[in-house]
Amino acid sequence: MNRRIAANRSKAQPASAVAPRNRGSARAWREQHLASAASSLRRIAARPFATALTVTVLSLALALPLLFWLLLDNARQLGGSFDNAGAISVFLKPHADAEAIAARLRTRAEIASVELKTPEQGLEEFRSQSGFADALKVLRYNPLPAALIVNLRPDAGEPAAASLVDELGRDSAVDLVQYDAQWRRRLSAILALVARTADVLAAVLAFAALLVIGNTVRLDIQGRAEEIEIMQLLGASDGFVRRPFLYTGLWYGVFAGLLSVTLIGIVEAALAGPLAQLTASYGERFSVHGLAPSGMFAVLGASAALGWLGAWLTASRHIALGQPH
Amino acid sequence: MIRFEHVSKRYASGHDALAELSFELAPGEMAFITGHSGAGKSTLLKLIALIERPTRGQIVVGGRNLADVRRRGIPEVRRSVGMVFQDHRLLLDRSVFDNVAMPLVIAGASREEVAKRARAALDKVGLLARERTQPAALSTGEQQRVGIARAIVSKPAVLIADEPTGNLDPQLSAEVMALFGEFQQVGTTVLVASHDLPLVKRMGKRVLVLDHGRLIDDYRPGPGANA
Repeated sequence: MNRRIAANRSKAQPASAVAPRNRGSARAWREQHLASAASSLRRIAARPFATALTVTVLSLALALPLLFWLLLDNARQLGGSFDNAGAISVFLKPHADAEAIAARLRTRAEIASVELKTPEQGLEEFRSQSGFADALKVLRYNPLPAALIVNLRPDAGEPAAASLVDELGRDSAVDLVQYDAQWRRRLSAILALVARTADVLAAVLAFAALLVIGNTVRLDIQGRAEEIEIMQLLGASDGFVRRPFLYTGLWYGVFAGLLSVTLIGIVEAALAGPLAQLTASYGERFSVHGLAPSGMFAVLGASAALGWLGAWLTASRHIALGQPH
Repeated sequence: MIRFEHVSKRYASGHDALAELSFELAPGEMAFITGHSGAGKSTLLKLIALIERPTRGQIVVGGRNLADVRRRGIPEVRRSVGMVFQDHRLLLDRSVFDNVAMPLVIAGASREEVAKRARAALDKVGLLARERTQPAALSTGEQQRVGIARAIVSKPAVLIADEPTGNLDPQLSAEVMALFGEFQQVGTTVLVASHDLPLVKRMGKRVLVLDHGRLIDDYRPGPGANA
């Protein structure tokens, strides 16, 4: 038994003689990265004022487009709550025969369904959804006309809808035709414009963040020029020299991300009261959401990546200058 | 170990630092480079460490032609050459130990390995007791010895030194030179630039004399003169 173990051990030796070296160098690599991360953290902590200033500027650059996006996301949700927007609302004149018109429309090929809303139903709906229930109480008679909600077949297409709207508009029994798709298109166009603006703003501010990080790291590199030169003379690779600066950028990014998430939290808290009043007055028909936890992590990740990238761009440019070509 | 073949170096300013320089240093050999200031001593050492590139000619170090070394390969060449500078070039915000350990950290050695070898190097130059000290608290001679410990800590095959005793008094200079002699005895190829002729003569080693970038004398001591 003992002999077999001894034999196995001696056989295993050539392999294990190599393994510790690889393990050792992987560990040395890990140790170096940890040491770099820690020393970079100590360095930026040693200049609290300059660091706070940089981090604040960065976090504002991050928070601004984020607030924009949040606003936009809420607006989209609001737009989505008008699920009937593909329908054509036909408001009839008083005393028009709503049933007959509805029956006539139902026979048409491009129409999927026709819903009849009596003045009583309309008033009830208005009362419950508009938030003007108290004002409606003072009315002595129902001012609402009968209405037809005409739903087109999904495959009907815009020209069919337009010609139907046109035809209904000329009908003597029809007071007003409202085709919601039109303003819905406008709303979505406006939202798309705002979304694009937010994207452009985010890109510009991300670029500004890169410049801020790059400039901070550049100053750091200049301040440590002698140290860098000595390390290069001792045979440090560009990657080795660059590493502490990359961690510096990473830390700036992480702290800016944390601060921008906090800033957004503060804005959300500040708006929570007035928003609650507003949604309550609309009978809670819509809600406003803030930044989700997954969004917070995404912000942190993006911010850290931005910090790393800004530092990398600067460090790669400035550190290479120390070597002959 | 080190071979120069018709090496010329002209700086961008138009100054000819070296002209048609050829010599060879065998493995484990020790030599001094002397000459007036501006004769090209520092340039010669800079070419070995790839701090500068020659304008013409070939330099082979440890069997490797330096002309074939691209920018990315420079760090590897420098890691194989120990360098000692006149102004020692220590990092003043780090301890003596951290300074000496730097080449090993750069080479990616593990923490135990770094600690073991850095202490061995410090012991070799007689400064093990000062490992936690900041370099600024040391005397000039001690700082230079820290610089030497840093140069030999990763056991390079080649050790070059540019005026290592330039700032030292005669007795410290002699001690530092004796240290270089010890490294030669363990097989390191040593090349020292110095204008301290009396000291160089006392060492009894090969001496290359430069004048305006040209090799005007290659003095080899006879057998027995080797101290």
